[in-house]
Amino acid sequence: MNSFTVKTNTLESVGWRTLAYIVLIGWALITILPLFWMVYSSFKSNEELVRDIYAFPKELFDNKNDEYIVIKPQLNVVPDYDPEVDTRERLIIESTSISPGRRLMVHFLLKEELPAPVAALEPGDTLELNQLPLDMRIRLSWKTIWFNYRSAFSRGRLGWKFANSLIYAVVSTFMINLFGLMMAFALSKLQFKKLSLVIGGVVGIGYLISINSLIIPLFLMLTSINLTDTHVGIILVYTAFGLPLAVMLDSQFIHGLPSSLIESARMDGASTFRVFRSIIAPMSTPVVVTVSIISALGIWNEFLLVLVLASSEFTKSLPVGVYSFSSLTSTQLGWQLAALVIATTPAMIVYFLFQNRLAEGVVGGAIKG
Amino acid sequence: MKKRVRRELLVYLGMVAPALVIYLFIVAYPVVYSVLLSFSDFNPNRGGVWNFVGFRHYETMLADSNFWYALKNNMIVVGISVFGQIPIGFMLAYILFRKMVKARIFFQTIVFLPHFLSTIVIGIMWKRLFQADGPVSRLIQMITGDPTAQFELMLYPETVMIPIGFALIWIYTGLYMIIFLANLQKIDENLMEAAKIDGATESQIFLKVIVPILAGTILISTILAIAGSLRGFDLIFSITTQGLQRNNAMVLPIFMYQTAFQNYTNEMRFAYGAAISNAIVVISLILILFSRLLSRKRDF
Repeated sequence: MNSFTVKTNTLESVGWRTLAYIVLIGWALITILPLFWMVYSSFKSNEELVRDIYAFPKELFDNKNDEYIVIKPQLNVVPDYDPEVDTRERLIIESTSISPGRRLMVHFLLKEELPAPVAALEPGDTLELNQLPLDMRIRLSWKTIWFNYRSAFSRGRLGWKFANSLIYAVVSTFMINLFGLMMAFALSKLQFKKLSLVIGGVVGIGYLISINSLIIPLFLMLTSINLTDTHVGIILVYTAFGLPLAVMLDSQFIHGLPSSLIESARMDGASTFRVFRSIIAPMSTPVVVTVSIISALGIWNEFLLVLVLASSEFTKSLPVGVYSFSSLTSTQLGWQLAALVIATTPAMIVYFLFQNRLAEGVVGGAIKG
Repeated sequence: MKKRVRRELLVYLGMVAPALVIYLFIVAYPVVYSVLLSFSDFNPNRGGVWNFVGFRHYETMLADSNFWYALKNNMIVVGISVFGQIPIGFMLAYILFRKMVKARIFFQTIVFLPHFLSTIVIGIMWKRLFQADGPVSRLIQMITGDPTAQFELMLYPETVMIPIGFALIWIYTGLYMIIFLANLQKIDENLMEAAKIDGATESQIFLKVIVPILAGTILISTILAIAGSLRGFDLIFSITTQGLQRNNAMVLPIFMYQTAFQNYTNEMRFAYGAAISNAIVVISLILILFSRLLSRKRDF
């Protein structure tokens, strides 16, 4: 009887295990495959994407024998140097295989670096990559491979927006950590418990309030003090909305630190500020890391605030830049995919580096909130 | 002594002040502002004089067919979150928790990943995946052998929420999986061992032991899902180009955004937008209260 039960249990558990593997592997594939497609397709030319949406990239990498045609300078050929400053003569060539005739894949070659027969080519003449000097060939080859990325950076001006996103994430996260930790320390280790309860409650409610539901008053307020379309205004809002989670997680953590440490430091004559700086702050590193990653990723990905507040290119962040770039260039799928990869790669790197910390922080916030 | 307390209080306030001032000014004050604004006739084109107009904007909203259409779509999103993301997340967490598979950290990491990627970017990605000549259409063509087959669900108002729901599940299931996993790991192993010795099967252990213990977690996840799906803006905004596609996939946050920031002909656009914003909050609170009541009745 007993052995019979065990046997059915094993049989049953083999069945369950198989099912479990099918479900999890299936879900993992559904998660990875779209992202995988996005990443490898961002290295495909538009022609390749139209020909076969699934094929792996080839054209941009296999560029040793690419053919180019010499073209005349025209208004729609945007130089990658400043013609006002740099007046050296250049040969303008366009690829005959990647977006031919559309003036998208264009190179400007310094005539003084070219061998005489190539430099003498006239508009309409064709040349092959291997007619060029080696270092120029290598440079053009790299430029071809990164064609989509170069276009996304230059035409979407994503470099500047990337920097903005970084500024928003880093500065706001720093302020969230500093102010959040100070408040959490006061709330959990200093006297005035009743006051702490009230302040903790008021700030705690903020965890349920999102930027999205207050976007109109935020816009009107910041307009009235001339802080829309400024880095300061956007950073202030991110800081304010990041504080509740930080105060919550920091308080939990600091509460768990032994009070005896603080008392003995006090005995030795350390001021409250000194205790904060020399004991609390260094010991809180684990929770600070957790809060930093959650806040920074949240700010990196935030969209609506910058969409509403940023009216100039000067303050736009990467998600807003990628969004408008993708609606302006709907025919250039390769460029768009490159822009998407540019926006997700930093988040993915941070995520994979700090995966465990993130899980803890998210759960801590969700449950205690 | 008294002097000492006063000094301590000053230090205390000094530690609390930076965070508190920023918070009160940028989070708490706009809450009040938003409520007042929705009851006023604030007109941005006319120097911003405020007069109390009662529930006028809320009445306009209730008479607006766009509001009801957006609300309907929002309710679909809530349904997808509560009855899609949470059960699937629970199931995946349970599989990981019972150690039915190897490489658990790997699976956990992968499933949780989309939650940390920009929702705007993910929306654009799915838009491209779902478009007429996109990969999903191509997949359908390969499976059915019909070279003209297309993925059409994004095109019609009746079906547009299906692919959107899929993308929402794709993004958020990992979050609930992580929440359930963390709480499952707090359960006493002996409880399940005891049930096993008593001859309980896997499904009995799940239904009779695990689910009742996690009732609280299910409720919290439901609250998170309701609040999150009512204010969700980014995914639908980017997957359909501003919820348009002939307004098919309009949801309340996008309706609010367009009212306040794009409809320049409406002189009351900010006040009306604030009313919609507040309605979203009120609807979330009602649904959350409702789910609490429901869970109490079921004796969880």
